[in-house]
Amino acid sequence: MTNDPLKALNKKLKDNWTQYLLAVISIAVFIAAWHLYAAYLHENDSGYQGYIPYPLDVAEALVDSFRYEDPNLGLTMFDHIAASLERILLGFVIAIVIAVPLGLLMGTFRKADAVGRPIVELIRPIPPLAWIPIFIVVLGMLWGPVAIVALGIFFPVLLNVMFGVRSVEPTLMDAAKTLGANRSQMFLKVVLPFTTPYLMTGVKVGLGIGWMCIVAAEMVGNYGGGVGYFIKDTADVGAFEYMYAGMIVIGLLGILTTGVAGLIEGRLSRWMGMK
Amino acid sequence: MDGHEVNPCIDIQDLFKTFVKGRKEVRALANFSLAVPDAQFVCLLGPSGCGKTTVLRILAGLETKSGGMVKVKGREVSRAGSDRGMVFQEFALFPWRTVRKNIEFGLEIRNMPETERRKLSSKYIDLVGLGGFEDAHPKELSGGMKQRVGIARALANEPAVLLMDEPFGSLDAQTRNLMQKELLRIWSATRKTILFVTHSVDEAVFLADRIVVMTARPGKVREDIAVDLPRPRDRTSSDFISVRGRVLAELDEEFEKARAKELSPD
Amino acid sequence: MERNVLYAIVVAAIVIVSSAAAVYVLTGDDEPKEKYPVYFVTMGVSSMKGALASGEIDGFIAWEPFGSEAILEDLGEPLIWSGEIMPNHPCCVVVASTDYLELDLGGGLTGASMTSRFVKAHIEATSWMVDALDDKDSANYTLLVELGVQFTGKSEAIVESALDHMKYGYEMDQTFMEGITNFTEMFIVGGAISEDKLAIGGYEDVDDFVDQYTNETFLDAESAVQPSDVILNPDDPVRIGFLKSDIHELAQWVAQNTTVGGGAKSLFETYGVNVVNASAVGGYASGPEEMDKFAAGEVDIGYLGCAPAIQKHLNAQVHTVIVAQANSEGSAIVVEADAGIESIDDLQNKTIAVPSTGTIQFVLLKRAVNDEGLELKLKT
Ligand SMILES: Nc1ncnc2c1ncn2[C@@H]1O[C@H](COP(=O)(O)OP(=O)(O)OP(=O)(O)O)[C@@H](O)[C@H]1O
Ligand SMILES: [Mg+2]
Repeated sequence: MTNDPLKALNKKLKDNWTQYLLAVISIAVFIAAWHLYAAYLHENDSGYQGYIPYPLDVAEALVDSFRYEDPNLGLTMFDHIAASLERILLGFVIAIVIAVPLGLLMGTFRKADAVGRPIVELIRPIPPLAWIPIFIVVLGMLWGPVAIVALGIFFPVLLNVMFGVRSVEPTLMDAAKTLGANRSQMFLKVVLPFTTPYLMTGVKVGLGIGWMCIVAAEMVGNYGGGVGYFIKDTADVGAFEYMYAGMIVIGLLGILTTGVAGLIEGRLSRWMGMK
Repeated sequence: MDGHEVNPCIDIQDLFKTFVKGRKEVRALANFSLAVPDAQFVCLLGPSGCGKTTVLRILAGLETKSGGMVKVKGREVSRAGSDRGMVFQEFALFPWRTVRKNIEFGLEIRNMPETERRKLSSKYIDLVGLGGFEDAHPKELSGGMKQRVGIARALANEPAVLLMDEPFGSLDAQTRNLMQKELLRIWSATRKTILFVTHSVDEAVFLADRIVVMTARPGKVREDIAVDLPRPRDRTSSDFISVRGRVLAELDEEFEKARAKELSPD
Repeated sequence: MERNVLYAIVVAAIVIVSSAAAVYVLTGDDEPKEKYPVYFVTMGVSSMKGALASGEIDGFIAWEPFGSEAILEDLGEPLIWSGEIMPNHPCCVVVASTDYLELDLGGGLTGASMTSRFVKAHIEATSWMVDALDDKDSANYTLLVELGVQFTGKSEAIVESALDHMKYGYEMDQTFMEGITNFTEMFIVGGAISEDKLAIGGYEDVDDFVDQYTNETFLDAESAVQPSDVILNPDDPVRIGFLKSDIHELAQWVAQNTTVGGGAKSLFETYGVNVVNASAVGGYASGPEEMDKFAAGEVDIGYLGCAPAIQKHLNAQVHTVIVAQANSEGSAIVVEADAGIESIDDLQNKTIAVPSTGTIQFVLLKRAVNDEGLELKLKT
């Protein structure tokens, strides 16, 4: 409607102000409840008061984690984020490179499905984290955690691509056929574009799972830290305000990456006229 | 107009089609014969499930026949090809392609150079009256406009015949009437041979040179009625109404038969 | 003509480059050899052996029996034992929940009195182990090894090697206190504990903290504790915590064994103490986890490394206090066999795995590396 992004945002805010207000209130109530609970534990000198630090202490730790280096590691939160992002990105690329062709293959050919399905169904329910010790040893500390992340992203992408291929409307295939398309042209010009939004859905779900995996993956071994490592490390020494700070960072990074994926998905499907 | 010329555009003789679903067999067509000369507009009518779509799909090469002969322009039909255009009730437009890109689909398939492609697509965009909507995506179009794209897309390939399966079936009455007039205009501009499936007797009488009424399943030709009314036709004229009455009577009988068959097992 | 110019340029270039190289080589020789850092990565101890075998790391520092295991399987060789880095450094300790110490069990029985009895059994068990280790031909030594095999699930050879490279002891003597002080300071320097946590815990400084966090009352009361004919706490067993398979914490296993007690009773039973394993799976996976269980109120008295005890008490105010030592030394830097690593100096540019930066193993490695004038750096 308008090309000015600021105006657009302003309009969006105006249109949905109740939603935004409710969101702000819900976060505020959550933090208040958290503070009260922490205060209650500290007042009563509870045995686990340190495990529920005050929100304000967590906020301070969050800021400090960005400002100061860990003396032993020589890393700030920025470095941890960079390390984790790099892992997510590498895992993502690997997962896509394998899952997309495989999904297209298994979605298209019954025989490929018959071959791949048992293995996929066998491995899929295994939590990626179960592979950690093996991956760390076999693939090493650089590629081990990456492989865990890749595995987490792999299945949602694979299954969504397969589902996308199978969802291609038969009349579209018929239309392409009557317009003279041969098999490879139908694949390139109908199946592939039709599957793209499904792929993006898989990517979005996969990235969320990827973040869930990275924490555990980095806990076991890694080069150069990572937010997951930071969480484990600070929890081990009982610096829980820092642990929560790390958790908040992971949460925000998750929202950010899936948000970006969602944005791309939205743009893509709008650009493709699918939404 | 008797359909028995030496070289009919569409030539179907003793067509059989039996669908096999597991152990169940459905005889959809038996002894279906039809010859359509060039540039004729034929409407195919018949009770639901009598095999109209099947005839069209076999002609388009989307379905194999079980027996008989099917020729288009003297050539035996074996698979889908751009010499037979098809227009679908569900439009079947590629949602990720713009109007122009949808229309150019068949041309891209043939590796036609871009400039030529554009020229041709522009021509058909103008023909079906979609000027100004070239860059719109299908979801932005109304049903009638969508079907204009469907028609233009089929025509852009310059096929010998246009196979239309209830193309206006999902449109509202007003749009439908408009589209019927539009189709006649397009037809007179292109002089394609059209095989048009419909459930609407009114539509058939308004459009067709010839109405073929099919029997209930297994379908074959029950009645072949020439419509010798001058165009543009007046739906309220007594001639129109009398042709309509005749077709309706034929159809009703078959409909009853189909119902009876449905109630008693095969 | 043009050709000659070209030749001249080429010759000039060769002269300049080669003379520069000569200068670099000659002057380079004169300068002292540059020192490279030693790199570390963090890794779960159970993964270290495999990582060493796959060449992912050049060495690791871990507590026993992980070092001995790798050595006896010919995957690595010991570079240095932790006793050589820091003689008699504290390692595992016995920690009591202060909530438990304040507990009134009824009938004149308190958590504190049960702790005295527990510590007494711990002393007896530790003394028995020290004696057994003194005489390797004795039946008691054989029994000790057998108990070690039982507890750790490792082979006899691994257990024997591990026993050789550590010291059991219960006393909180000068060396122990200095070690605890030293570790606490290193944790603060390293950032594992932030300095303000001392004040939050009500401690003036590190010395004050160490003083208050070690409670010698129970060790001191040792001579007053007499055996009891009956189990004093049949309905309120002491819920004990320890790390799964950690040979440093063998004392509690010994104290639970009836053969060691010299008959039908274990040492714990001899002193009237009924104990029960707080962990449902035969021990905790790590010290930090055990401290979490202390915080959750699931453990009364536990054996664990002094590092997580100090850190979680200071950082998260977990209600605990150290009541005795369990062992000292017993960690090793193990390096790839036949890789030419003979000294700490040879660790330059090599990658050593540590369990985490919050462990005494990290502190020990850092000390060893720094003492050699080298820098310890995270591998990235
Ligand atoms: N792929 C198929 N497999 C099995 N049976 C089929 C298949 N396609 C069509 N049939 C059956 O063949 C018969 C004819 O179907 P067809 O779709 O040609 O009828 P129609 O005349 O187009 O019906 P309608 O007017 O409802 O569109 C029906 O009984 C239908 O159930
Ligand atoms: Mg039909």
